[in-house]
Amino acid sequence: MIAYLGRRLLALIPVALGVATITFALIHLVPGDPVVAMLGDMAAPADIEGMRHELGLDRPLWQQYAAFLGGLATGDLGESISTHQRVAHLIAQRFPATLELASAGVIVAIAIAFPLGMIAGAAPGGPADLGAMGFAVVGISVPHLYLGPLLMILFSLKLRWLPLTGRGGLSHLILPAVTLGTALAAILARMLRQSLVQVRGSDYMRTAIGKGLSANAALLRHGLRNALTPVVTLLGLQLGGLLAGSIITEVIFSWPGLGRLMITAISARDYPLVEGCVLTFALTYVVVNMATDMVYGLIDPRIRLGGEAR
Amino acid sequence: MRFRRVALCALALAACYGCARPHDRVAPGFIQVDIETSPTALDPRYATDAISERIDELMFDPMVRLDPQGGFVGDLAESIERTSPTEIIFHLRQGVHFNDGRELTARDVKSTFDFVIDRKNRSPKAGGLEQIKSIDALDDYTIKMTTRGPYAPALEMAMLGIVPGQTPGRNSSALDAPPGTGPFRLRDFERDDRVVLERNPARPISDANAIRGIIFKVVPDPTVRALELVEHICDLAPNDIQPDLLPYLRAQNGLDVLTSPGTTYWYLTFNFRDPALRDLKVRRAIAYSIDRDEIIRAYLRGTARIATGLLTPENWAYDGEVVTYPYDPERARQLLDNAGFKADRNGMRHLTLVYKCTPEGGRMGEILQAMLRRVGIEVRIRSNEWATFYGDMQRGNFDIAAMEWIGIKDPHHYYMVFDAPMTPPRGLNRGNYSNPEMDRLVEAGDTTTDEAARRKIYAQVQKLAAEDLPYLSLWWQDNVMVMNRTVAGFKPYPNGSLRSLADLTLTSPALMTTADGEPSE
Amino acid sequence: MRLRTNLSLGIGGTLVAILILIGIFGPLITRHDPLAIDLRLALAGPKPNHPLGCDALGRDMLARLMYGARLSLAVSISVVALSLVVGSLIGGSAALAGGRVDSIVMRFVDVFLAFPGFLLAIALAAILGPGLTDLVIALTAMGWTGYARLVRGEVLSLREREYVQAANTLGATPSRILIRHLLPGIAGPVAVQATFGIGGIIVAEASLSFLGLGAMPPTPSWGNMLDAGRAFLLVAPHLTTAPGIAIGLSVLAFNLLGDGLAQLAGRRS
Repeated sequence: MIAYLGRRLLALIPVALGVATITFALIHLVPGDPVVAMLGDMAAPADIEGMRHELGLDRPLWQQYAAFLGGLATGDLGESISTHQRVAHLIAQRFPATLELASAGVIVAIAIAFPLGMIAGAAPGGPADLGAMGFAVVGISVPHLYLGPLLMILFSLKLRWLPLTGRGGLSHLILPAVTLGTALAAILARMLRQSLVQVRGSDYMRTAIGKGLSANAALLRHGLRNALTPVVTLLGLQLGGLLAGSIITEVIFSWPGLGRLMITAISARDYPLVEGCVLTFALTYVVVNMATDMVYGLIDPRIRLGGEAR
Repeated sequence: MRFRRVALCALALAACYGCARPHDRVAPGFIQVDIETSPTALDPRYATDAISERIDELMFDPMVRLDPQGGFVGDLAESIERTSPTEIIFHLRQGVHFNDGRELTARDVKSTFDFVIDRKNRSPKAGGLEQIKSIDALDDYTIKMTTRGPYAPALEMAMLGIVPGQTPGRNSSALDAPPGTGPFRLRDFERDDRVVLERNPARPISDANAIRGIIFKVVPDPTVRALELVEHICDLAPNDIQPDLLPYLRAQNGLDVLTSPGTTYWYLTFNFRDPALRDLKVRRAIAYSIDRDEIIRAYLRGTARIATGLLTPENWAYDGEVVTYPYDPERARQLLDNAGFKADRNGMRHLTLVYKCTPEGGRMGEILQAMLRRVGIEVRIRSNEWATFYGDMQRGNFDIAAMEWIGIKDPHHYYMVFDAPMTPPRGLNRGNYSNPEMDRLVEAGDTTTDEAARRKIYAQVQKLAAEDLPYLSLWWQDNVMVMNRTVAGFKPYPNGSLRSLADLTLTSPALMTTADGEPSE
Repeated sequence: MRLRTNLSLGIGGTLVAILILIGIFGPLITRHDPLAIDLRLALAGPKPNHPLGCDALGRDMLARLMYGARLSLAVSISVVALSLVVGSLIGGSAALAGGRVDSIVMRFVDVFLAFPGFLLAIALAAILGPGLTDLVIALTAMGWTGYARLVRGEVLSLREREYVQAANTLGATPSRILIRHLLPGIAGPVAVQATFGIGGIIVAEASLSFLGLGAMPPTPSWGNMLDAGRAFLLVAPHLTTAPGIAIGLSVLAFNLLGDGLAQLAGRRS
């Protein structure tokens, strides 16, 4: 077990390295001169050279790469051009807000998916099933881009129940979390329904019913736990997508998180800050995926021991 | 059983969260003012952006300031005498105290000016005080300002807010303000969130209904600002109201919308580094292509007046007898033909201009883009957040852009924007405009002290500016204040100053005496 | 089961067909120029001449929506086609080459996959700058890996099949094998993935345009129309509702079609 965890952690390093390299390549190997973009093509050559030197862009590429990786190891991501603060500091300030939003989104997703999936799975083919699954298809299709403003118009502007934008108490969290979590809820609900239907037909269920339990009680007592496993798997796989969705949601709701910081940095042509944000997002994605993998390894020994994946 | 307990706990938790006082509840006697951007400096020696200046005006006094009619009036200075073309004597009021108890003397005035003038301190206001040769404290209450040569706008330089001597310079993360003598002092400053001012204890007020403090809340989203006004969370929103929301706000109970003529001048600046824009025919064509009447009527909902130049009709040096450019797209097309930009089959002329703006200015950009397309000019809009946009403007990284000048008082401003050597960072000639005739006139305007002679010179400047089009004048924006009816006593200043907030009273006594306590943090 | 397949396929197929028709013919039949402003009509609600009202500059919303449909479809179909080509080339060659090369290429794909797709699109769009070509490139980077894996899997399994080995022995050229045996095998899964892919790219393009990284004004895109509508939620919500519903319905259409196709393909095999 420890060996397994250790191996997985070790595997993290090359992936993280690969991700960091892609980030570096993105920012540094792209056509066009970022300094000219910043200063304008009418700028004096002396100014351009000066800025290039300041940003360290006149050093050979491998040196810049080495400096980048070195900084990464010590947690130094450079200095933001627009605010002159340390990039790592800015990111550390904003990251908790993104975590708050993302976790709230997951909670909302689970809270919606469960009842929805169970209703659908309990009576497949019936009206409740069709209704719930219809709802789910719509939920997957409506992008955050539109769901956010829709909820804003309805709950904030027309009904005045909730505040419009910004971060504050619980009331500020509700609309963004619902926006973020709905699509995930729909996906999870569908999977839950599907696996419940599968479980119903399985042998041990028929045994339990044969022993005298009602269908629903059997489902609850025995079937649910097994039905949950693919759902949890799917949840883990979707967590990365949640991070991406949080970027748009943060911009819509003026949520002071990492996504919004990145978009502002892009607008400010603050390349060190953009690089830092992209890297943080990518590494978080990698860590989350790795953690999910490890959890499955713990739950399902077959995976750990290298057997077939489910 | 267990489920019920868990549910109860969850409910209790949610109740705690939900009941936590949101930050924007107002304490008794305090009003909330919603502003669009955060102030950058609460130190009058550094503040140059509009919101920082307006908040600083409430905390610090200058020797001289403007009254609601736009004329000079003494503040710290009781009386002023010009003893020679290069010397002005200011007699300071006695018994004025900083909010930490010390009395203000001429030494504090001298040290404030010396601090700004000293280039080592990197104050962005240093350039404006260039013409000061020396500031001397003749005694505890007398200041002598000596300029390098005869300098007409000298009095304007005396509008610097005063801080105590020995106040150290600002470091980049200062969240403090130095002590001041103004009607308010700083209680709290959270950058990008809010500024809280409370009354200066050294200036007690007698009116029991006068406000006790001001919370400037930073709310970048215009829809949220409007909502907060409607829900009476916010008591006053100065300018920055979307014109489209005005009819909606006017229709609300309990809100007053006050418009008054302003000195805010909107203009289109041309970058003379671009060869096409150096051609006067092209600039004139652009001037004829823009339907300013339509924009003011439909986009600004009537809250502006078409501008003929930098100075508004209320200004002493105003001359309206200048060439104007009514909307005439046909003439614009002719001018462009003459300039050598022939139209192709689709009417486009292979003339592309890059228009820079901020996201808030994007809509105006699209309007200008559409109007210029009608005559065959293609405009590419590049929108960036404010600091990047401002940096682009300073470096000349633009072709055209619409900008505003706020608070122009003395025509000396013409020197700062049109004099050839006054390009950034030294001056404000961002378009790199160079016209020897203009240089001669604006330099003469600064050094002539006789007012009648100055007026003649600036009449010529205004005529030349309208003919040569270094700027295309767009409009003079009115000041628009939306206020809660429970707040009384606001007087608008043409330059948008919020000085009269010090005289505000609350008409509802209940707002002064609730048992609520301090504003929550 | 049969009913549900037909339902998804039927509804989805119809909606997609309508969407494509709008995209092709809509801009041709509309009377209004989507770029022509009329400030007097700014923020006007629905009226006889403008069934969906006007935007903040008085431009006709219906015309802008239809041009937006054309843009969304054109971009997403191009992106999916490009992703398919790139992915197939890379995945297919890796499978054909086999051994070491295959491992290396798949490692590369894995690392690429470790990078969240949308983030990659944002970063590329930010760096490449505005413009439709750059937008297509940025969006292609998001999805090609899926096709690479798919094609590689099929090619690998094909290599082992006996009839392929037989055909090879008999002297059939690789391209013949490809067309005769590979394509029918992957047609199904690729069609399903591409259909869902189009829906996803429509959202991604709208998102990028919303963030100011995609289609630039005055070109109408559902995404930048949503962005423009944000300032007017209070007084003119139709600026937001119209493009929002358009995006939602389009994605729904492609999702349903994809569902239907998946169930069709699932039943066959």
